[in-house]
Amino acid sequence: MEEILKVDNLTKSFKQSKKLFKPEKNGGVKVAVNNLSFSAYKGEIFGLLGPNGAGKTTTLRMLATLIKPDSGNATINGKSIVSDKEAVRRSIGFLTSELKLDETFTPEYLFNFFADLYGVETNVRNARKTQLFSKFGINEFAGQKLGNLSTGMKQKVSLVVSIAHDPEFIIFDEPTNGLDVLTGKVVTDFLQELRAEGKTIILSTHIFSLVEKLCDRVGILIDGKLAAIDSLKNLTQEKNLEDTFFGLYESVTGEKV
Amino acid sequence: MKNVLTIIKKEFVRFFTDRRMVLMIFLPGILIYAIYSLMGNFMSEMGQPDIDKDYVPTAYIIGLPEGLSVEGVFKIKSYENSEAAKTDIYDSKLDIMVVFPADFKENYAGETKPEVKVYYNSASAQSAFGYSVAIALLNELNAFKINSDVSEKFDLVNSESLAADILSMIIPMLMFSLLASSCMAVAPESIAGEKERGTMATLLITPVKRAEIVLGKIISLSCFAMLSGFSSFIGVILSLPKLSGGVFNLSSMSYGVGDYFMLFGLIISIVLAMISVFSVLSTLAKNVKEASMFITPLMIVIIVLGMCTTFIKSSSVAIHLIPFLGSGLAMSGILSAAASPVGVALAIISNLVFTAALTVLMAFMFKNENIMLKK
Ligand SMILES: Nc1ncnc2c1ncn2[C@@H]1O[C@H](COP(=O)(O)OP(=O)(O)OP(=O)(O)O)[C@@H](O)[C@H]1O
Ligand SMILES: [Mg+2]
Repeated sequence: MEEILKVDNLTKSFKQSKKLFKPEKNGGVKVAVNNLSFSAYKGEIFGLLGPNGAGKTTTLRMLATLIKPDSGNATINGKSIVSDKEAVRRSIGFLTSELKLDETFTPEYLFNFFADLYGVETNVRNARKTQLFSKFGINEFAGQKLGNLSTGMKQKVSLVVSIAHDPEFIIFDEPTNGLDVLTGKVVTDFLQELRAEGKTIILSTHIFSLVEKLCDRVGILIDGKLAAIDSLKNLTQEKNLEDTFFGLYESVTGEKV
Repeated sequence: MKNVLTIIKKEFVRFFTDRRMVLMIFLPGILIYAIYSLMGNFMSEMGQPDIDKDYVPTAYIIGLPEGLSVEGVFKIKSYENSEAAKTDIYDSKLDIMVVFPADFKENYAGETKPEVKVYYNSASAQSAFGYSVAIALLNELNAFKINSDVSEKFDLVNSESLAADILSMIIPMLMFSLLASSCMAVAPESIAGEKERGTMATLLITPVKRAEIVLGKIISLSCFAMLSGFSSFIGVILSLPKLSGGVFNLSSMSYGVGDYFMLFGLIISIVLAMISVFSVLSTLAKNVKEASMFITPLMIVIIVLGMCTTFIKSSSVAIHLIPFLGSGLAMSGILSAAASPVGVALAIISNLVFTAALTVLMAFMFKNENIMLKK
């Protein structure tokens, strides 16, 4: 198996703001991601499963080079997220509700704009736009301001724009958050198609069913640390995923769920 | 470089599809024109007491050629020397002094026209009237060059006169406040606004170099503010004749092409400097509201600096290097027709260096996640 993503002792802490400052706890520093190491392989969907505040988003933001790790490193396609940011940015697509598109533009303009920034050639860009727009039913709305479109349509446009440059590695934070079941299905179906094309995908979620439906391998993230990492099959052999998770959670945090 | 262009193009599309923003460009020019024209009318009523229809201006004439008579046209006064006469013109005790050249006879009807000097004081209505009478007479003879020596000052206007003060104080102040408000209208919206709306992060995950983003922003924002500056500039040009026609004698206060060039260059450099400071502050702010909060005090300082120009009698030309204060001094210098080109050049250079330094600073700020992703 070809290793596409290699995460090596990634660590990130945040200074807590004064309001959240709890003096007794680590002097106001929150370790969001704590010495995280794992790998993802070509053509798989890797799921980061964890409760709120586990550090999923922080991990993905570091992989997408949006924030710098305090220590540790990760490579995507052999390129370091610390020392070769530009190459990493070129080869990934990052989708999260935190990244917004300017609503005064049309889907058509936004697709062209971002494809251009990634250096996609015009004819390749146009062919890809035609294909993706018709696949997601955007054609009809391609010339309308994004702000006038429905939430589901906006989400589809965001998805399409984030992969305008046909990235090999796709990072997806909470893919179905805030989507209705119909749009959610469009998105999950598409992720499976991308996998079939040989793309590698890492996604984060706290939804067990999504992991069970999509992921080949799963890392269970609790309090910034991986409590378990294995194939979905192995993780669900003895108990179902939910029970496995709660068992791990209790042993890691010492809290009864 | 291609990415910078892509970003500039996007900024332009966004700007020009927003009617509010387009209005921001043209409003300052229209306002300046309206305000200055009103002020000009007002001041001409206030400042220019009507002179008697049959007022006879006083004149001191040196070397009046034989055969020329000014009987009835001027009331002749005599002086020990020309300096004493100049002092009286300055103090509005004498209206004009006319100096014919000593070698007038030899040159008369020769190849080169002899030069006649006419000294006057444009702040005095009587003197301005006397000046126009003298010019009319001399022009009729069509045998002289009049006040052709550009290095000499013929308008002995009292620089402390109210009118000159108003002009050199109000214009930089008004110009500064209009330019600053144009910059204020575009910078926070485009930088802090993008952070607030979450579109900046989308741009930051692309492989575009941060310096390219910054450059694209500064260039396009400066263009928008410059368009607005240009509209203010047109407003000033159109209204200056009204202003100067009111308080000053139009012919005495006319500006040369060089003055307009200096003014134009100065305005562009001021806009660049303002956009870059405001952009830095907008980058620091987490939303448009905070950016406005950061910028407002600075804007007041800038406007006050633009106003200070009358109180600062600069001893050294290096004072033009101080951001904004120097630009204000240079502008009031140009407007009172007493600009030192070196001072104007220093002010422009200082603005450009200032802009370059802040652009570099901003590129570093764009690499800092704590600044760019601040919530
Ligand atoms: N910029 C930041 N400043 C301060 N603390 C932060 C910041 N980002 C994250 N944190 C903290 O780090 C921890 C991990 O946050 P993160 O967003 O990565 O969790 P998550 O697993 O994505 O949770 P969720 O399911 O709520 O999205 C949380 O305690 C959060 O408060
Ligand atoms: Mg999250």
